[in-house]
Amino acid sequence: MCVGLSAKVVSLKDGMAIVDASGAKRTVSAELLTNLNPGDYVMVHAGTAIAKITDEDKDETDDLMQQL
Amino acid sequence: MAVGHRTTEDSIEKARRILRDYDGPDVRIMEVCGTHTHEIFRQGVRRVLNPKIHMISGPGCPVCVTPVGFIDEAILLALEKGCTITTFGDLVRVPGTEKSLQIARGEGAKVKVVYTPLDAEVYAKEHPEEQVVFLSVGFETTTPSNCLAVRNAQKDGLTNFSLLTANKTMPGAYEAMKDSTDLFLYPGHVHAITGTKVCEDLVSEGVSGVCAGFTGRELLTALAVGVTKFKEGKPFFVNCYPRVVTREGSPAAQKMAEEMMQPCDAMWRGIGVIPNSGMELREEYAAFDARKKFALPPIEGRANPACRCGEVLQGKIQPHDCPCFGKVCTPEHPVGACMVSSEGACSAWYLYGELAGKPLD
Ligand code: SF4
Repeated sequence: MCVGLSAKVVSLKDGMAIVDASGAKRTVSAELLTNLNPGDYVMVHAGTAIAKITDEDKDETDDLMQQL
Repeated sequence: MAVGHRTTEDSIEKARRILRDYDGPDVRIMEVCGTHTHEIFRQGVRRVLNPKIHMISGPGCPVCVTPVGFIDEAILLALEKGCTITTFGDLVRVPGTEKSLQIARGEGAKVKVVYTPLDAEVYAKEHPEEQVVFLSVGFETTTPSNCLAVRNAQKDGLTNFSLLTANKTMPGAYEAMKDSTDLFLYPGHVHAITGTKVCEDLVSEGVSGVCAGFTGRELLTALAVGVTKFKEGKPFFVNCYPRVVTREGSPAAQKMAEEMMQPCDAMWRGIGVIPNSGMELREEYAAFDARKKFALPPIEGRANPACRCGEVLQGKIQPHDCPCFGKVCTPEHPVGACMVSSEGACSAWYLYGELAGKPLD
């Protein structure tokens, strides 16, 4: 239940978003996020988009490792 | 090969090398989050760790820390009050004092598995003849969805939907666990909601940690950053998951939880009561609080005395140190919650233990 799902926003309507998580479409609540647009990536948890994210973990891990 | 790609490979190689060649003092790293425990195994991260790096389990699987009495309350609601129980699947097989919800189902309890609390509210709307109770467990990450379900029920004018709450918050657990570990691997999605101030505050108490994501790359990076800083000998905090976690977290989620819920003392299975580490609905939402609505008596619950989940959840023993592990306690016949939950430490060790060089007997 705690596993977050990263997904791409396909469309938005009435505080809900249709998201695409690796090909699977789901309807989730988008009420916690403002300024959300189709094409954005979000982290979904228990049916609610909890954070806007970048789609890749590559850049941030590169940055962190370069600082070591 | 693109240059950018080569850079990524290099940084991951560097992380692996740091973890393999670590030559600092022995370090205990607590996986606060059960999903971290599973992902660290599943992605083979343990294989690259120097023997001086010890991964220990922590209290961050909500199903595992939900007390036995909570399952007993749910069974009472189902069997004696005739409620329909809606729940995340993991809770169905968790043993209560006498039985699990799965066994209660065989005795006539109506138990429906849903993916989200929002789905439970929709079910209630579609079944006005049933009293629907959602088993509201989880940490800061799940609490907003529970609140949204109640808000939707209020908007829809439902009188047949309520929560049985066992929501918990992490700061109290960090305080309770801080002497059991040298370094916290903080749960990324909890801090996506709360922000990282609590982690920064703990640094002034001498408690170190890194906030980590869940991919192999994110876990290797967070651990490499953690052990490198640990070697320097000063308390620290580094947010290694900035694409999801910010310093301020989610103000909207914090505001909603604050408006609808209030802190309360909470019982953690195997650990005991941690003051102010729980969340319950405020008085204004009493109509959606199953305990009040159905006037539940206080229920303590008794765990199986053979189960050592409490010590596992505090990193004091590894699951294979429990005499029941893999013998009387298996995922098919779980004795304790840590073996049931897909995020539990005992189930992680059962599924992947050989990856840590500890094969099953
Ligand atoms: S192996 Fe089973 S009985 Fe032992 S601590 Fe884990 S869940 Fe409890």
